Formats: sequence, structure tokens, C-alpha cells
Amino acid sequence: MASRIKTNAEKHIVCPFCSLHCDDILSKSDGKKYSISSEESKVSEANKTCLKKIESFNINAKSILTPTIKNKKVNLGSVLKYTKQILNKQKDAIIINHGIDVSGLRSMLNFALTYNCSIDHINSKFLYQNIGIVQRTGYMATSLTEAKNRGDVIIVFGNNILCKTPRLIEKVLTPSNSLCTNEKNKKIIFIGEFPDKLLKNLSKKYNTSYIKMKMDYIPDLLNLLSDIDGVKIPNISKVLVAKIKSIIYKSKYLVATWSASDFINSKNPDKIIQSISQFILDRNKTSRASCMPISGSLGDTTSSQTLTWLTGFPSRIKYAHGSFVHDRNIYNNEIIIDKKNTDVVIHISSLSQDKIKINKGLKNIFIGHPNSKFTSQPDVFIPVGIPGIDYEGIMFRTDNVVSLALKKIRAINLPTTKEILDELT
Amino acid sequence: MNIKLESGNIFDPQNNIFNKKMDLYVADGKIVSKKNIKGGINKIINCSNKIVMPGAIDMHTHIGGGKVNIARLMLEDFHIENNKNFDSSSIIAPSTIKTGLKYIEMGYTTCFEPALLPVNARQAHSEMADIPFIDKGSYALLGNDDFFLDLLRKKASQSMINDYVAFILNATQSIGIKVVNPGGINAFKFNQRALNVDEKSKYYNITPRDIISKLTRSIYDLGISHPLHVHCSNLGIPGNYLSTIETIKAANSLPIHLTHIQFHSYGNNGDKAFSSASVEISNFLNKIPNLTCDVGQIMFGQTVTMSGDSMSQYRNHNHAHPKKWMCMDIECDAGCGVVPFKYKDKSFVNALQWVIGLEIFLLAEDPWKIFLTTDHPNGAPFTSYPHLIKLLMDRSFRNDILKQLPKSIRDHSILHTLKREYTLNEIAIMTRAAPARILGLQNKGNFSEGSDADITIYDKNNKDIENMFAHPIMVLKSGEIAVENGKVKNYLWGKTQTIKPEYDASIEKILNKFFDKYHTMKLDSYIITESEMSNLIGSEIVINKCKYERKQ
Repeated sequence: MASRIKTNAEKHIVCPFCSLHCDDILSKSDGKKYSISSEESKVSEANKTCLKKIESFNINAKSILTPTIKNKKVNLGSVLKYTKQILNKQKDAIIINHGIDVSGLRSMLNFALTYNCSIDHINSKFLYQNIGIVQRTGYMATSLTEAKNRGDVIIVFGNNILCKTPRLIEKVLTPSNSLCTNEKNKKIIFIGEFPDKLLKNLSKKYNTSYIKMKMDYIPDLLNLLSDIDGVKIPNISKVLVAKIKSIIYKSKYLVATWSASDFINSKNPDKIIQSISQFILDRNKTSRASCMPISGSLGDTTSSQTLTWLTGFPSRIKYAHGSFVHDRNIYNNEIIIDKKNTDVVIHISSLSQDKIKINKGLKNIFIGHPNSKFTSQPDVFIPVGIPGIDYEGIMFRTDNVVSLALKKIRAINLPTTKEILDELT
Repeated sequence: MNIKLESGNIFDPQNNIFNKKMDLYVADGKIVSKKNIKGGINKIINCSNKIVMPGAIDMHTHIGGGKVNIARLMLEDFHIENNKNFDSSSIIAPSTIKTGLKYIEMGYTTCFEPALLPVNARQAHSEMADIPFIDKGSYALLGNDDFFLDLLRKKASQSMINDYVAFILNATQSIGIKVVNPGGINAFKFNQRALNVDEKSKYYNITPRDIISKLTRSIYDLGISHPLHVHCSNLGIPGNYLSTIETIKAANSLPIHLTHIQFHSYGNNGDKAFSSASVEISNFLNKIPNLTCDVGQIMFGQTVTMSGDSMSQYRNHNHAHPKKWMCMDIECDAGCGVVPFKYKDKSFVNALQWVIGLEIFLLAEDPWKIFLTTDHPNGAPFTSYPHLIKLLMDRSFRNDILKQLPKSIRDHSILHTLKREYTLNEIAIMTRAAPARILGLQNKGNFSEGSDADITIYDKNNKDIENMFAHPIMVLKSGEIAVENGKVKNYLWGKTQTIKPEYDASIEKILNKFFDKYHTMKLDSYIITESEMSNLIGSEIVINKCKYERKQ
């Protein structure tokens, strides 16, 4: 339902499109089209990237605002009726979550319960890498504000983490104010394969160090830093390792951050994350140190948190025989689709800008935002609003402890995902 | 709908009604007197040979928030209990749905999450909104947040501290304030590994005594019904009863509630340097009028400990069973730690913990001052309450279990000498009337006209008291039948109990600056409004009155 939007008034919004969920940005809207600006007078390049991304969800000539069945425009009543027919005939439907808020997830679970669907998140494989350390061993973690105010040395592992969360550097790693540390003395150590240009620019402004190496060597490097003998890493100088070690061992509050997706092409991503976690645990014997994994670019943390409190499991679940069951292999969407263990795929996508794969030979129902992109047209497309743009919602930040209330800034008369799922349930 | 509950044996301690055969009337979800029933009776429930009590209230149970979800996630391999009743989550870390189902099946209709981190309040309320049947509420954590400690360091006025406390209660939609290991969680972030009551934190130069004194004063000044809810320093450490006593003194005779007191009543005498200090603690409880406690009884078996006390949880992580655990520093606000644990009856320490809890229950002279809890799930899952009630009401049952414990336990305890058996009246007080009173819930825990018609009906003929309390034959929530013949009938959704003390809005200006400078979100995002509670989070709020107007 459309509601009155105060036109052209500048107001703070909460960005729904990355796991930092920044709320220090401003929107101006005429009710249909919106523009985004920073509250800072001097806007960083990272912030500019974010502002452009948010604006890219404005309605354009390619936006789909009317439901379609087999690429033909239909009204909402017709598409709901047709979708129910598909759902009533399905035997093994799967929901793939590409990003949605808490209210959408609550309705998704009711929907899955009604139709005995399985549920998976498109980023579950990364989620399980981070969850693995919680489920296997000990784990010390921290949150964004702690890292900002207490972290004096921060190790950033990976290659792409700063592109996925562009403002991590300015907001958390190198803030202009820090409560318990001297912000000017904060040291950042990059370990991995970061773009040279990015690090060169950062080194001009901040106290940075860089060990450029393949990420498969991270466990070996951490062993070296822990004085474990017999470790050799090609092309890494002992002097550099000694320098890094000195910085780390002088730290009072060490923070290790990474994005699990950066390790996905490594030989053993689990081993890398486990080794980082173990290194942090060891540091806590005499000092303080914590892990701060970054995830959630498509509402991953929102999904895992909500499903966990509702069912006990973060993802890959199915309602069967009177209760929700979980199996991270059996209900893995990639395996299900590869093995053709499904007949209907229901994509739910409020936030993704990626081209979403439509699987031929299966029925594809797509409930997503108007600017969604597909590899081919789904059988059913139901356009819905975006949380934080078209309706109010709740989403979780990367650190899993802060959730924010998203605001509404435009009124384009689209239903919410919750409303559609409730209609179908 | 108008309902008559006919000829029940009524227990309503608030109104001095104990086991009196009488009728109750319900209209529009409230208790009414017969003369105020408008229209006819729509339904008569025959309560002859039935015990009728107000719905039970759990004043300390970890049912929502980040640490609870960490436990659910961590203990995925325990989620195998397929009861074909919506979900398969384990009772030691149950899903929200299972939490509600299990509580209502036991006749509990109101529960309080005792450790709501203000910065995590949105999550905690969202989780609790998804717990069916029960009303809920929360105590917001203060006393380890950098803003508060900075106020103390700067010697801010009591009035300003009161403004901050009142702001927190409003902004987090809570009903009380809790402090966990006062200052200790914060000190742990600066690598301090212990903090005694009169020890200064290295960074802020503040003692736990300072924190307790300021916060108890603040709660008193603001007229908040529930006294400061205190998880004392040195949890689980032998000899900690001394710091518990110092914590009591730090309140300067103002109301104070010590939570899971069992974990804070340890001596360090004997060959094992671990002993019961239940007598010393009980003496204080019986002597000091403004002191109340909940016990946090342990039961033998697997559970998971979850606490805001990251300092203690880190210290205890070597005892994790199975060997996995997690601690977290959180947002300059507080922390948390989740450590699975198995209490073993063959372990001297665990057996003595079991004994100490029971000794405190049995030594407490006034059932209005002590509350039945297991600190779910830290001591045991809440589903063990019926068993605990039987332990309190049946001395021979208690002694039979005591005999199975290591023989050395008898040398270290007085439990076998305690002949007391709790009465039904006393159970009704400690699980209904007393928690309602201490939380300021005027419409709960009693059958006064206008109170919520949360009613639990037990089978009087059931001679097994544990079974009777585990399986009430009927439970009404807000006048609707939730459980009938022991089976859940209708899914109902409760409300969130809050309190809204006054504060000077100028505190928000100071907080705004603090947030913009040091936090990673704005103050506006931190505050949860009443409309957000009902529209986004999904739970309407009930605003309970302060006891009196703010004093300063």
C-alpha cells in the first residue's frame, strides 16, 4: 500500500545493501525518485561508491513494476492465483533467499511450513565457514564499535573485503575518533592479495603494513608468528615477519577481520579461518584479541539470526514430519538443483544486483525487487518493495549483535515480500 | 467471552486466599467479580478437585537475545529432540516457538529475559515477540558500558545518572535494570581478569561498589518497582560469598535483588577448598528487609551456560562440555560468553552446587523474598521447575537424591538436617505473587478484579507433585484457553511489559554527541519506539506504573 512520504525533506536512512547498514546517510525523495547524500561535508571515495549503489535501485526504464507470468504482464490477483496452482502441485520446492528483512523471513518460514519447502540462503557456504569455528572449538569475537574504540592493531585478511564493505576502513578500522585508543596510532596489517593501488593509497593516510601472499599460506604465517618452527613461506622475508610480529605482540586489543568469501578459492578455507581463530585464542592468554568476520552482503546475518531463533538452525532446513529438520548437505540449494531434487525454485530477492540464475527445466518463481536481473525470464515474477527503501523493516549488521530499523523513503505502490508470502500461505 | 471457573481450590496469595473453594469469573481477558459480568456466562469450566493459581511468572530466564542465539547455533548437534511439535530444537537452547510451548504447557504465562544488552535490544525483543503464549519483559544491562563508566569517572551528578538510567529503560523497552559483574566485563576488555568489589578498574578507576551504589540509588530515585538486579562479582569462585556480602552492603540499605545467588554463595573451606556459604548468605537474606534473591538452582545433566559476564565465562571456558565455547566483546556496551556445561552428580563441586541452592531455598524464611529459578539454562533448563518444586516440597525425595551424591557432600552441607517442606501456599507465593509484586506487575500473579486472566489449573488428585506441576490440565492466557487437557489448543501471542520513568531530554543531546563520535550507529537507530515494538518487532507493549514520582 502506498503511504504518504514527506516529499523533498532530507532524512537519515539505514542502507540495506551491505552488512554495515550505515545510518549516517541522507535521502531526499519526491515519493518516487530518491537521491542519497552523505551527512559529511567531505565525502570519501568509499562513501561515494555506496551512495551510487543505493541510488542505482531507483526505478528506471528497465524496472519491472508489474507481475509477469511467462514474461506476460498480469495483475497481482492473477499472478497469485497462478503461483498457488504451481505451489499446490509441487513436490519438492526450495526457497533460495537472496536477501530479505526479518518480517520477510518470518513469513518465509510460515510459507515453507505450509508447502513443506526447504530453505537455503545463497551465501550459506560462506556462513558455514564462519559458523564452523563456533560449532567446533572456542571463539573470541568482537563487534564494530569495539573494534573502532579498542582495536589498536587490526589484521585484515583477504583480497576483496574492502570492496564489499567500502566504508569499513573509515568507519571502523581508521576512525577519526576512538574512545580508548589513540586513533592516530592505530596500525593495520593487510595479509593476502589486496589490490596494490588500494593499499598504496591507504598507506599514504594510515599506518599500514602488508604481507602479500597467497591466502593458502595464512595458516603457515600464523604459525610463524606463533614461533612454531619448520614453517617456510616462499618470498616472505623474515624481516617483514619479525616486524609484523613485533606490532602484534605489542598490541593491547588485536582485531582480526576477514570475509569468508575471500577464501573460497583457497585449497582449504576452513583451515584458514580456524587458524586465524586459534591465533586469536592464543593471544588472549596474555593480552586481548578478537575476531571480527565480515559477512552479510545479501542479508546473510539477518537470515541466519532469524531462522536460528525460530528453528534452532541458521539455514538449510525443511519442515518435515512435524518439525523443522536441518542438513547442510541435503538442503544445500546447489546440490538440490544439480541433482534435480526439486521441481520448483522460489527465489526471494530484495537486495541483490547480481544476475540471478534461472534454472531451466524447473519452475522458477521470483519474488524480488523491480530492478532484479536474471539469466532468463522466470515463470513467475512478482515485483516487491525493498526494505529500507519501500517499507520499514529490521536487518542485522555483520557483527550479529546490532540490528537496525530500516525506514521507508519512497512510495511506488509495491507489496512487501511478507505480504506476498502471506497471501500465498 | 465470559467464563466461570466453578468451585476451584483457589490460591491467590496477593489477596490472602489460600486453598479456598470458590468461583472465578473472567470477561474480556480480565478477572472480574460476579456482579460486574455483563451478559451471560458463555462457558463454565468445572474446577472441582482442581487447584487454581494465577499463571506462573519466571522472573529470570534467558529466552531472547544474541547469546541465546549463539547457544542455539553452537549446539546444533543437540537439536535432535523430535517431539513432532513444530521443531526439533533442544530444550537447553530451544527455539522461540519451543520456548513458548514448553512454558505454557507448565502453566507459566509471563517470563523475563534478565540480560538485555541495550545495543542488542532490537534482536532480543524480536526474538521474544516470536515466543508464543507468554507475556515477556527484560532487564537492560548497565554498569559495564563506557558511557556510564565515563559518567562515574567524571563524577556526574546522581540526577544525570538517573536521566541516563531512565533513558535506557525507555529506549530499550525494558522493565528493569541489571548489572552483571559490575565493571568487570568492561575491565576484561582492558585485560583485567578479575575485579573485586573494592578493586578499581584500571582504565576508569571505578570500583564495583561505586557502580552498585549509584545504580541502586538511581532505581530508587526513579521509582522503578524492580530493585537493581545484580549478578555479583566473582561468579563461581570459591570464597565468593564475601564479595556477595560486600555487594549487598554497597546498596546502602536501598532495595537490591541478587540473582542466581547459588552461584555466589561459595566458601573456600575444607579439604577441597570449596564449601557452602548458604548459611551466611541466608542470614543476610533473612535479616535485611530490602534484599531479595532468586536462586539459580542447578540440576544434573547437560546444559549450556550463557551470560553477559564475559570475564567469568572466559575464565570457565576450560570446563566447556563439549569442548566449544564463545566469548564476545559488544559495542562498548557489555559482553557475553556461551559455554556448554554438564553438571555431574559424581562431581563434588557440582553436587555441592546442587546442595547449596536447595539450602538457600530452605533457609529462606520469607517466600516473598526468594524466587524459584534455575537461571535457565545456566543451572538447568526451565523445564526442570516441577522437579525442583518436588525437591522443595518432599523431604524424603530430596534426601533420596542426596544419598546418591558423593558421601563427602554430607560433611560439607546441612541439607540433610533441614526438615522444611515447602507448602503449596509458599510455592504459589514464590512463583506467582512475589515475582509480580517485585516487578510491579499489578495485573499479574493475582486474581484481583481487573487483573489479567492468566490462570493455571492443576489436578488436585494428582499425588505426584512433580507431574502435577509439569502438566496442568488447563491454562488460560488473557482469558483464552491455551492448554486444555494438557495439550496446547490455540496459539496466542503475549505482550511486552515495560516501565517508562521520566527523564530530562537533555541527556539525549549528550548521548547524540557520544554516539556520533564513538559508536557505529546513530542514537536514533539505538532507540526502539513504541510503534516499532508493535509494527516491526511484533509485540505490543504494556506500560507499568512507577511506584512513585521521581525523587531527583
